[in-house]
Amino acid sequence: MPTAFEPVEVDFRSVTKRFALREGHTLREYASYLVNRKPFANDFFALSDVSFSISRSEIVGIIGRNGSGKSTTLKLMAGVTAPSSGEVFVGGRVSPLIELGAGFHPDLTGRENVHLNGSILGMTSREIKEQYDAIVEFAELEEFIDTPVKRYSSGMYVRLGFAVAVHSNPEILLVDEVLSVGDSFFQEKSLAKMHEFRDAGVTVVVVSHSPPLIESFCERAIWLDHGRLVEDGPAKEVLDHYIHSQHEPHLV
Amino acid sequence: MAQSDTLRRTALSATLGPADYLRHLADFWNRRDLLWHMTVRHLRGQYKQSVLGYAWAFVNPLSQMIIMSFVFSTILRVPVPGDTPYPLFLFVGLVPWIFFSTALGSGTDSVTGAASLVTKVYFPREVLPTAAVLTKLVDLFFGFVILAILMAYYGRLPEATSYWFPLLFGIHLIFVLGLTYPLAALNLYFHDVRFLVGVALTLWFYLTPVIYPIDAVPEKYNWVFDLNPNALFINAYRRVILYGEDPELTRVLVGAAIAIITFLVGYWLFKKMEAGFADSI
Repeated sequence: MPTAFEPVEVDFRSVTKRFALREGHTLREYASYLVNRKPFANDFFALSDVSFSISRSEIVGIIGRNGSGKSTTLKLMAGVTAPSSGEVFVGGRVSPLIELGAGFHPDLTGRENVHLNGSILGMTSREIKEQYDAIVEFAELEEFIDTPVKRYSSGMYVRLGFAVAVHSNPEILLVDEVLSVGDSFFQEKSLAKMHEFRDAGVTVVVVSHSPPLIESFCERAIWLDHGRLVEDGPAKEVLDHYIHSQHEPHLV
Repeated sequence: MAQSDTLRRTALSATLGPADYLRHLADFWNRRDLLWHMTVRHLRGQYKQSVLGYAWAFVNPLSQMIIMSFVFSTILRVPVPGDTPYPLFLFVGLVPWIFFSTALGSGTDSVTGAASLVTKVYFPREVLPTAAVLTKLVDLFFGFVILAILMAYYGRLPEATSYWFPLLFGIHLIFVLGLTYPLAALNLYFHDVRFLVGVALTLWFYLTPVIYPIDAVPEKYNWVFDLNPNALFINAYRRVILYGEDPELTRVLVGAAIAIITFLVGYWLFKKMEAGFADSI
């Protein structure tokens, strides 16, 4: 368990993320905005005034229904988007587990994609070469590594993506829904890897709307709903309240 | 493993001072491995699905060269300085022009096309347009292979002054990159930009001495060509490769000044808009 002496790795200070909802992106819309002086966007708050901090080597789950602000939270941690107000601090190298296909090119082989994906995550060519065998072994794709990944099953995709991410020497690992795609054997292996990470001082953030997944990975859970932080505490407790609320939606 | 006891800010911020500028350029340089992998990925994706594969890199410039040579030397009889055959004259200008227009087009689409990456993981986004532009260097290379064959066919050798070419092209490349960055960023906010680029390229083609020699331009319009980097560079390529003349120093300096200013401003605009990329896709 994390102690009070572990340094803070991720710190959200009253973070608000506001999106402008737009129909499309054309000059015509912009021109009509200039003429009519009517805002062509409705604001939507993906996160409102959310504060929490995560210490080094914690494994934290973020739970919530679709549209609760989970993905926005991950994006802010990954540094791909900036908060509208408030501040986000991140203490180390962040490795997001990139969604299916995003960091891969379907026409390239598994081997070529390991290099591409690794370099996207900030690994140098040397690091990738050093880790290459371990990545392929972890992904259990030795036989298919020279096959174009468009022939892969979705499970194989996830394994390769996860293998690259965990071997990219992350300080903070962001794990998305995708993990649930792997079979139970691979999930167990991933769980073992995460525990190994925690012991090595790596912080892991798992995002899901599935309580069992969070429960199997995390000690602590943060529950988001409609962009607000509902509860932050021991995973078991938070998940109990979350599951309970799903049956009585009026309480939330 | 984790050595960061002091928290650092996330990579994105909307402010951009001179110190940030240098930091961004340094970050970019540090990610050259990624630039390399992205370029290879573009390249493999470009032709892998087609039957002719890389042969397409020859087919496009070759077919344009044949049709334009026919139209402008057989039908319209455009006069060309010296005893240079028209196809050679045309091709020395056409190959860099095709590079310019395809690089600008695919660079403009590069960030929009990588939506799923941009919303997931941070890396310096200028890697995307830069890789798109660098990919087109391969087509440029194939274009020069055709040029070499064409010169052999006409029994000509490149002039000794061709050693100027790498320097001239290097400056030209800086200009292309500088123009591509803000267009790639703007295309995220307004998808019309790619169409505007198409229209602009058509106009620009006729305002650049690709199919006609610069001498054919009436004097009162010379300023248009003196401020058009594509005209400055394409004319210089012809001088050094076909006519054995050194490039005109003042024109090279003007071209270099425009290229560097375009790059610095373009990169700055790109970085300014970068913070909103993931929200605009």
